[in-house]
Amino acid sequence: MKIWSTEHIFSYPWETVIKAAMRKYPNPMNPSVVGVDVLDRNLDKHGRLHSHRLLSTEWGLPSVVRAILGTSRTTTYIKEHSVVDPEEKKMELCSTNITLTNLVSVDERLVYRPHPENPDITVLTQEAIITVKGVSLSSYLEGLMALSMTANARKGWDAIEWIIKNSERENVPLCDMC
Amino acid sequence: MNSVGESCTELKREYDQCFNRWFAEKFLKGDRGDDPCTEVFKKYQTCVQKAIKEKNIPIDNVEFMGPNKEKPGS
Repeated sequence: MKIWSTEHIFSYPWETVIKAAMRKYPNPMNPSVVGVDVLDRNLDKHGRLHSHRLLSTEWGLPSVVRAILGTSRTTTYIKEHSVVDPEEKKMELCSTNITLTNLVSVDERLVYRPHPENPDITVLTQEAIITVKGVSLSSYLEGLMALSMTANARKGWDAIEWIIKNSERENVPLCDMC
Repeated sequence: MNSVGESCTELKREYDQCFNRWFAEKFLKGDRGDDPCTEVFKKYQTCVQKAIKEKNIPIDNVEFMGPNKEKPGS
């Protein structure tokens, strides 16, 4: 098991970042996400918005990892639960893979909050627990996956910024552009 | 962006557009009025659930480590 975490600052207010985060896909930085569906969405009694989504991804695993895992299946499904609390200004998002679970599990948690001292910027804290199962090189693979998490996190931040810049400029719903 | 079910993609886009507008213009501004996207969401859901069954995607048998397991209130 490997625990990975990082933090990122967006130079935009929370509302702007959240709007982009909710419609993060598609974006040029994450071409591996090929499908996104909403499975369920509702408001709870505290006025928080819960969204359950299904992400279809083509995993960018290094070929050596694919070889070791012995799988040729490249589509992996990820289930994601997000909660947006507009009062507290907090968005929390948890995701986990629901296929290939016999080989690997990646549980990720992201929290977006306004910076405590500067409401014009937003802090994203991000952590992941990676567990590779049943292979002898598991700790080596977990290290490789953690490296890939770091690269992917950067893509995720770039994606949010890309969405913000493009949607601000075009001022149209992004789905019109896909 | 596509749906997991190819035939659901049009409905998904229609729903996403409706939702994004509601989210930005109502929800984040504290307006808790009626959800204008309910009808299209129902149609989209029917389509997606069918696709998920056809593709045997195991959406239910996962111990989810979500933010909390509280059942949302009505």
